[in-house]
Amino acid sequence: MKVSELINNGFEMITLPDGDREIDGVYIGDLLSWVMGRARQDNAWITIMSNINVIAVATLADTACVILAENVDLPEDVKAQAEIKDVNVLKSPLPIYETAVRLKELLS
Amino acid sequence: MKELSLNILDITENSTKAGATLTSILIDEEENTLRLTIEDNGSGMSEEILRGVTDPFYTTRTTRKVGMGLPLLKLAAEQTGGFMKVESVSKDVDPVHHGTKVEALFYQDSIDFTPLGDVVSTVCTLIQGHPDTDFYFRHRILNQQKDVLVELDTRQIREVLDGVPLNEYEVIKWIEEYVNEQYSGPQDTE
Repeated sequence: MKVSELINNGFEMITLPDGDREIDGVYIGDLLSWVMGRARQDNAWITIMSNINVIAVATLADTACVILAENVDLPEDVKAQAEIKDVNVLKSPLPIYETAVRLKELLS
Repeated sequence: MKELSLNILDITENSTKAGATLTSILIDEEENTLRLTIEDNGSGMSEEILRGVTDPFYTTRTTRKVGMGLPLLKLAAEQTGGFMKVESVSKDVDPVHHGTKVEALFYQDSIDFTPLGDVVSTVCTLIQGHPDTDFYFRHRILNQQKDVLVELDTRQIREVLDGVPLNEYEVIKWIEEYVNEQYSGPQDTE
């Protein structure tokens, strides 16, 4: 499933510089150093963290997109960096578990 | 990171990479705060590099990969309501007194405070990996229950060892015990 296909399926776009990217698997985590070593390439990464380091970790781990749960938003400067670094960022109003369940339904 | 001691390991590796011959790791705990200071006499950074040092992209995009160490330490400190600051004097600016100082303040009563973790292992790992570099470690805990002062200076140990490398297994084991004994305080064996 493409990242862009999540939009209007319970997910809202924050940045979408690379919407055609295919999602392969999901990773969940908020401790950035931990995620950095464990999230796999093309994963959709669900987190509630929203600082600039999130964009760096998404770049390093080469995730397909970042999904901010619980309606967390990106500060404007971080959003700008995400656009520049080609990092897709979406948000979901649901808590992390329900966000993951929704993704599971869409991905399978 | 799950433990501050892992941040310490990461930051101190930067110091040795910058050619430091002496790196000090100072931890001061007082009431609800923990202050971490890592100071080295390495090659230092230019003002331009220093400005970008907490920007994760600045560091991941350059060929000299500094890593996420400083951005993550800054985040860990700020999550508790504290801060991190970095000062540096480049070798090019002052050929004699150069180096970098990283200072981070944490509020330990914050729910997002990252525990210090196994700092003794961190110090031993550093010595083992860099036996020709000197380290000064000092951990001071001041509170109503107990005052603890733990110190280790590899320059002193080196003098006593008279040529035996610091990364010999027995030496590292001894250092580990020596530091741990200081934490447990004087035993009532007299």
